Amino acid sequence: MDLFANLWLGFTVAVTPLNLAYLFAGVMIGMVVGIIPGFGPAAALAVLLPITFGMEPAGAVIMLAAIYYGSQYGGTITSILLNTPGESSSVASTFDGYPLAQQGRAGPALVMQAVASFVGGTFGVVLITLLAPPFAQLARSFGPPEFFLLVMMGLATLIVMIGGNWRLGLVSALIGFALGTVGVDLETGNSRYTFGSAELIGGIDFIPVAIGLFGLGELYYAFWSGLHVTGSGGVVRLEKGGRFWPELRDYVETRWSLARGSLLGFVVGVLPGAGATVASLMSYSIEKSVSRTPEKFGKGAMAGLVGPEAANNAASSGAMVPLLTLGIPGSAATAVLLAAFILWGLTPGPLLMAQKPEFAWGLIASMYLGNMALLALNIFAIPLFVQMIKLPYRLLAPSVIVICTIGTYSVNGSLIETWLMLAAGVAGFFMRLGGFSPAALVLALVLGPLAEQSLRQSLTISSGSFAIFVERPVSLTLLCLTAALLAGGIYARVSQRRAIS
Amino acid sequence: MRAGFLAGLLAAACGYAWIAFAELAWLSSAGRLGPAFFPRLIGVALVALTAWSLGDELRRRAPEPVSGHGRVTAALAVLSALFVAALEPLGGLLAMLAYLAAALALLNRRRTLQNVLLATLLPAAIYLVFRVWLNAAVPRGPFGF
Repeated sequence: MDLFANLWLGFTVAVTPLNLAYLFAGVMIGMVVGIIPGFGPAAALAVLLPITFGMEPAGAVIMLAAIYYGSQYGGTITSILLNTPGESSSVASTFDGYPLAQQGRAGPALVMQAVASFVGGTFGVVLITLLAPPFAQLARSFGPPEFFLLVMMGLATLIVMIGGNWRLGLVSALIGFALGTVGVDLETGNSRYTFGSAELIGGIDFIPVAIGLFGLGELYYAFWSGLHVTGSGGVVRLEKGGRFWPELRDYVETRWSLARGSLLGFVVGVLPGAGATVASLMSYSIEKSVSRTPEKFGKGAMAGLVGPEAANNAASSGAMVPLLTLGIPGSAATAVLLAAFILWGLTPGPLLMAQKPEFAWGLIASMYLGNMALLALNIFAIPLFVQMIKLPYRLLAPSVIVICTIGTYSVNGSLIETWLMLAAGVAGFFMRLGGFSPAALVLALVLGPLAEQSLRQSLTISSGSFAIFVERPVSLTLLCLTAALLAGGIYARVSQRRAIS
Repeated sequence: MRAGFLAGLLAAACGYAWIAFAELAWLSSAGRLGPAFFPRLIGVALVALTAWSLGDELRRRAPEPVSGHGRVTAALAVLSALFVAALEPLGGLLAMLAYLAAALALLNRRRTLQNVLLATLLPAAIYLVFRVWLNAAVPRGPFGF
């Protein structure tokens, strides 16, 4: 009963005209962000954060969350029409989406991906509605050892599952931790690594770092790869005489792929550090292995498009569970969302749903509406987004650099932070080039202070004994879960390699 | 290129670890774990892993060939740095205009009208959104905008 009362409260917050306007603006921006290769949701959220300063907290976070899950929808359009994923989570959609478009089935592929995204996203929100309150209740029993292990679990999963080289992933995370130690030590008041600079006493703000790594760094990498030269020459046209709507058999044949992808995506999304990319690639691998016609995969199998699409959208919903109930982001984009919450004076964690129900449930309710809006947008506004794909990168990229720079400056009016953003952009470019993980760096930068504080508190409680991490039942469970995740991660990487090959 | 990046990173990691050991206290005055505890763990791990990765990179007999559009990427990075440097002396609006004019002249040659329109309309739109609508901080130049 409480559940319905809370959901009703959420809808009363979400359907105010202003919040609806923010929601629609968010899903539109998310779609556009998803379409632009090399400009991900993390950078978009970080750049647009200053724009939300004049808004009410609920409206601001509704808009930013809509950008986050909206980008999952948009990224697939370029996967299908251009064979270029807008986001890393849409890579699996190129495997069968582009062959379908080449066979003259671009329309049905686009509609089916929209339906799959809607089903996956909405399934994820239903599960958030059901599971977030008991999860928050459970999280109230967590102490410093559990929070430290949760941070480690997230980073370990991210490092093992993403990227080609675990050692470089770990180095990236350590750089993030190192940057997180800059500033005043909160327990003793001593300055660390400030070199006498007043600007560094408060620590390194991760917003300029996120904008630099994911905005500028990705753009430089796109230029290095020659995206400004190749442009959008390979866009598959939507034929005027061709069939736009899918056939009945498309829905019937992929119904179980939808269900499997949605469930798998949500579970993977809830695990800190895993996320939408891993979910979609795992889903592709599973769909291929359970299919009666695996030889069709890679040549235009609708199940190969629908499963990963449902999975990546369900994962983006699932990632909201640890964010809302534990205050622990599982990806770079949710880390920026966490920063937005904190900017608004909201502390995500076990008490958020009890202390700020109108905010937490308003956000959840808005996700139902946002997914509906995205379904309609994806089906009826496809020609508009196809035109956007054709926008030349050589015009788009300088414009995005201007927005990143002015956006960074406007956060605190600080030129030093703008230089920091630029330095992070150059570093991000070299990190991409060298196979490092910018996502692990940003996540470690955000979670570093929490990791340090919880580790020091744990060791103070235990008088310096690391046995505290195995003596408490919840800690021991988390340790076992981390070990299982690492084993699963290694298995998933092997599966991904098979799927890609 | 990766070897160079790793070498730079190793130097920075050594500096970080050295400060953690030489300048920060392991225990606080109350006898609890002090400000050096976490940096020392990070510093040691970072030096070890970076040195290991660099060693592997140097041992590789045939390094991976590096090819890409280096000139245009470097030019864009230099233009970005000049843009940031010009923000306060010129003001946000003029700096945006100058940066876009230069970047588009480099990337979008022989399309003068398109470049002029984008280089004037986009800065005006951004200025209106950030400065006028949101009242956010945009650097003011000698002319007040």
